[in-house]
Amino acid sequence: MLSRVADSLYWMSRYMERTDSILRILIMNHQSSQDNPEEFSWRPMLKIFSDLEEEAITAMEKNGRQVLHYMVIDRENPSSVFNMVVHSRENARAVQDNITKELWQSLNEFYHCVRDSQLESSLRTEDPITVLDSLIRQCMVFYGVSDSTMFRGEGLCFMNLGKYLERVVQTASILEVKFKDKESEIEMTSDTTYWKYLLMSISGYALYLKRYRSGFEARNVVDQVLFNVDFPHSVLYSLNQVHRHFGRLKSDHNVEGHARIDNLIGKIRSKVQYSDVASVSRTGMHNYLTEINGDINDIGSALNQYYFAYS
Amino acid sequence: MELFQNYPVDSRVWDEMYNQDKVRHHYQHVYDFLANISSDELSKKEELARRLFMSQGITFTVYSSGEGIEKIFPFDIIPRIITAAEWSLIERGIKQRLNALNLFLKDVYHEQFILKDGVVPPELVYSCPHFLREMQGVNVPHDIYVHIAGIDLIRDHDGTFYVLEDNLRTPSGVSYMIENREITKRIFPDLIPQNFVRPVTQYPTILHRNLQELSPRHTSSPNVVLLTPGIYNSAYFEHTTLARLMGIELVEGRDLVVENHKVYMKTTAGLQQVDVIYRRVDDDFLDPLVFNPESTLGVSGLLSAYRKGNVAIVNSIGNGVADDKAIYVYVPDMIRYYLNEEPILKNVPTYRLDKPDEREEVLKNINKMVVKKTNESGGYGMLMGHAATEEEIIAYKKEILKDPRQFIAQPIISLSSSPCYINGKAQPRRIDLRPFALCGPSGIEIVAGGLTRVALREGSLVVNSSQGGGSKDTWVLAK
Repeated sequence: MLSRVADSLYWMSRYMERTDSILRILIMNHQSSQDNPEEFSWRPMLKIFSDLEEEAITAMEKNGRQVLHYMVIDRENPSSVFNMVVHSRENARAVQDNITKELWQSLNEFYHCVRDSQLESSLRTEDPITVLDSLIRQCMVFYGVSDSTMFRGEGLCFMNLGKYLERVVQTASILEVKFKDKESEIEMTSDTTYWKYLLMSISGYALYLKRYRSGFEARNVVDQVLFNVDFPHSVLYSLNQVHRHFGRLKSDHNVEGHARIDNLIGKIRSKVQYSDVASVSRTGMHNYLTEINGDINDIGSALNQYYFAYS
Repeated sequence: MELFQNYPVDSRVWDEMYNQDKVRHHYQHVYDFLANISSDELSKKEELARRLFMSQGITFTVYSSGEGIEKIFPFDIIPRIITAAEWSLIERGIKQRLNALNLFLKDVYHEQFILKDGVVPPELVYSCPHFLREMQGVNVPHDIYVHIAGIDLIRDHDGTFYVLEDNLRTPSGVSYMIENREITKRIFPDLIPQNFVRPVTQYPTILHRNLQELSPRHTSSPNVVLLTPGIYNSAYFEHTTLARLMGIELVEGRDLVVENHKVYMKTTAGLQQVDVIYRRVDDDFLDPLVFNPESTLGVSGLLSAYRKGNVAIVNSIGNGVADDKAIYVYVPDMIRYYLNEEPILKNVPTYRLDKPDEREEVLKNINKMVVKKTNESGGYGMLMGHAATEEEIIAYKKEILKDPRQFIAQPIISLSSSPCYINGKAQPRRIDLRPFALCGPSGIEIVAGGLTRVALREGSLVVNSSQGGGSKDTWVLAK
């Protein structure tokens, strides 16, 4: 397929995954803010998921509604849900003939939804969880339609690559919010409610309760979120998917490019597969997450170089 | 029934449905059908049509401040009907005209016999901005320059068809011809078979076959692509539709690269050679090395690949000299010169404003004239003498005197009218017809139908979409 088309499909997916992730983070933080208003601050989230200056963060950090407005529909915020959806849809628009009509329509509907002025007033006055949930539902429709209508060809491989690479980045970022300060160790972070909401936001709560009956320990949460191969939002699961979908791109063309990237994927996959909470503790969580981010960036650059380069 | 009650018939205008107060024979069936539908149901049909256009994405996008606003090209639900006999004349006339135009282009870019024999003034050709010296002496596959032509026809008050203008470069609108038919099938099921309407769906198949036959490489599956300026182009919908219906790749300039005078596509599997380019990018933007150097829509080196015969380009480059509105005056002479035949379809009488006596005549009678720029399209740069204000006329006259070669004038033709469903009643609006002719190595084929454009504003004679026009489904009856 055309390099430009592969590029657009990849980014359409990445932006959609990013949208899904931001929405979940917002829900989780909102719930925390309701439980523990004295201690809670939106600052850690804003530091990781926005480019706001210190001053702006300080002004917003206790004001949930303002943060929600900024992160969901502020057109001036390049990382707002609004802009993520617009980018995703514009990428799809440029390659309409390579996605199914149903997929295009689902994105189109999401696009018209975030542009609706009704959304802005709902965010201001209604229960945030209801509003955010309805937006997450749109992401779910996108995933469902992709899965059930897209032809199993090159296009879908690039979509899945984008989705799961982005998922690794987002999951690492979610954890980074807590472990940003190099000094915080896994053992020391015992904010039970926080972990509970984090797990709920990525649909991992029920699984956690079944596996780790012994209450909310940070080490167990980290174990599930990083290493559990059956948990769809874990880093290892995502890396396995990256490996699987990239493997399907193997062909008689572009042999060198494929081998190089396969190699990079293999390295990061092994790194995560063969670590555990203890080894991560020794490295330091922040360092570990930074390494992962760096490796994913390398994969992204290599994809650009060997598959998407068209300019 | 109220739909056609008080339908105002103007005796000076040819109405497609009414001959004075009698319904024409070929419209009878549709008239009876429509007259028996309640106005509620009709307005539901109109609403259904609108929803179908929106949900299927048959829209064009107007970009404003970075955001795209989707608009529908207005569609009128009452079909425009052409008899088999009328079509037969149109078909023969267009084939004859297109043959002559292709011969003219071959001639004007090679031996120029028609200029040497004094039939067409050389200064007219050489002063045409679209006459491209870069094409001089270049041989094109099968000597076909115009593969896709949109010949615009109108009917005068006595029902005679005239050619209003030729569109030989990147004529558009065929996707609406196809989609209007699909929508009509949905809102009036069964009506089309009952009326023995000829199909239009084979257009993409014929075009695809023609494109493949042009491939310089004789392979069993030549690589045919459609070159689009991109998503910000207002006709982008048509580009995606055609690419989808033909099953060919939709590419932009940045997807292509020329190496060793051959054109390649950048794919995830490396470079793939391209054989035929159906380009919807204007000549001037095609090759920044040769034409407009600031173009980002084209491919550097494309012309060199074309000249070497390594890629076929549809429509060929440099066709603008043949659809220049001043050269249009000479098309009947071209038919006589090259084919030794009398033109089947007549031209609208046209004055060349670079000729002093004709210019004087026009300026004296400007209130009865339409004045047009020879190389504009979309209805821009026109003066409707009967509707313009004093200031507009004075300003326009100044423009004419500055560069008279850039203008022609025609007496205002009373375009035919057709009933349109507006505000719950049938009201007459002026229309034209653009059939699409396809010319390939196997001959010329014209799909039975075309795009009927409607001037939706009451009293307006301007049908272009950019000026408030709409369209109708066009039926050609099989018998």
